[in-house]
Amino acid sequence: MTTLLYTHSACQEHDTGFGHPECAARLTAILNVLGTAPFAALEWRDPPKATSEQLTHIHSQSHLERILGQVPKQGHYAIDGDTIISPSSGEAALRAAGAVCAAVDAVLGREAHNAFCAIRPPGHHAEPSQAMGFCLFNNVAIGAAHARAAHALQRVAVIDFDVHHGNGTQVAFEHDPGYFYASIHQAHIYPGTGRREERGIGNIVNVPLSANSGSAELCQGWNQKIAPALRQFQPELILISAGFDAHHMDPLAEINLSEDDYAWLTEEILAVAADCCEGRVISVLEGGYNLSALASSVAIHVKTLMAAPATT
Amino acid sequence: MYEFLQYHVRDAMTVDPIAISPKAKLHEAEDLFEIHDFNGVPVVNDQRQLLGMLTKFDLLKAFRFDSHTLVPHYNAIMEQLVETVMTCDPVAVSPQLPLSRLLQKLVEMRTKSLPVIEEGNLLIGIISRQDVLKALRRSTVQREILTPRDRAS
Ligand SMILES: [Zn+2]
Repeated sequence: MTTLLYTHSACQEHDTGFGHPECAARLTAILNVLGTAPFAALEWRDPPKATSEQLTHIHSQSHLERILGQVPKQGHYAIDGDTIISPSSGEAALRAAGAVCAAVDAVLGREAHNAFCAIRPPGHHAEPSQAMGFCLFNNVAIGAAHARAAHALQRVAVIDFDVHHGNGTQVAFEHDPGYFYASIHQAHIYPGTGRREERGIGNIVNVPLSANSGSAELCQGWNQKIAPALRQFQPELILISAGFDAHHMDPLAEINLSEDDYAWLTEEILAVAADCCEGRVISVLEGGYNLSALASSVAIHVKTLMAAPATT
Repeated sequence: MYEFLQYHVRDAMTVDPIAISPKAKLHEAEDLFEIHDFNGVPVVNDQRQLLGMLTKFDLLKAFRFDSHTLVPHYNAIMEQLVETVMTCDPVAVSPQLPLSRLLQKLVEMRTKSLPVIEEGNLLIGIISRQDVLKALRRSTVQREILTPRDRAS
């Protein structure tokens, strides 16, 4: 079983300013773990920049021009109170989206069974014409759209277990029956969307959890809501918005998952992928702001991807 | 302890307490907390009529995660007006309330202090846990000195 790891040095140069939780050290912590012996079988790849054709499957041309135009020559520029960019942010954002597209090409080209994209800035809050919540381009949605446009897939699913709702992905998918989006997240925190009643055209499943929920509520949400709908959708490819900020040590939310929960959920997603789409899974980093919890959670997530059951 | 039963809120409260305007900014309230070690400050209008209470708890609540930003922003939150986060229609007590009853109220409500008002909703004092503890001590110390008999009962 081959698992690919996409990451790029530009993603570490994207500087969000002193003390910002979405910092380069996140990626350093992850890559330090993924560089150790137990992960020696990972195949590391440098992603290209996403093309404007790939980006405009999801974003407006004016959004691309505005974001890339706002990248400062030096210092920082605040798109909003949360979303700060610096001179390397443009390239980082293009490599981040490019990583998901390259992973899609590789996995659909049968070069590997699955892939993990260790990238930043994250993407799932970015809407077609709005950067927000640390996100510039919606990496996972761009990858999903690329899979349909370049590989003629009919049905692509995104499973989002970041503690925040992926408003951007939902907005991009909610009118298109070729996409499925399911999110499990904490209710009433940023960005405020993701209520149970938000169902798109029947292709969106939102499982909001109340503060202090943990394993039991995750299991229930997956088993009762997300897994049945995902199986019914019969995805040809599954992408994961893999945020690890629902961990019990994360400073930005109040959900209490552990590394074991991430391993379990990853196995569950892989099991559906094995049944529906020959195990094709591409996981894309979103949030996770406690460096040691992030590193250990990503480690177990990637280890589980590497141990994915063989498919025919 | 018998003497304590004779006390009223007016005997133990802090008279003419520092209060804050509903139009003050949260950082001004935070300064008061910092300087005076208050836990809460009454919010009054120009006529010193009680409008609300602003406590450290209310300030903490202003920093809870919400749907507007991923990370709460200190300066923006501290620029908000007191009236946006204060507790409106606070429980207030009369200066004539027996102190023993006030004590029960503080325990039941788990609150740290209560404003004291007169007719017309005028703020005349504030009474805290510490004030009640002091009154308890004062009442028993005096009795033990004056009437040693009390010890046997
Ligand atoms: Zn998040």
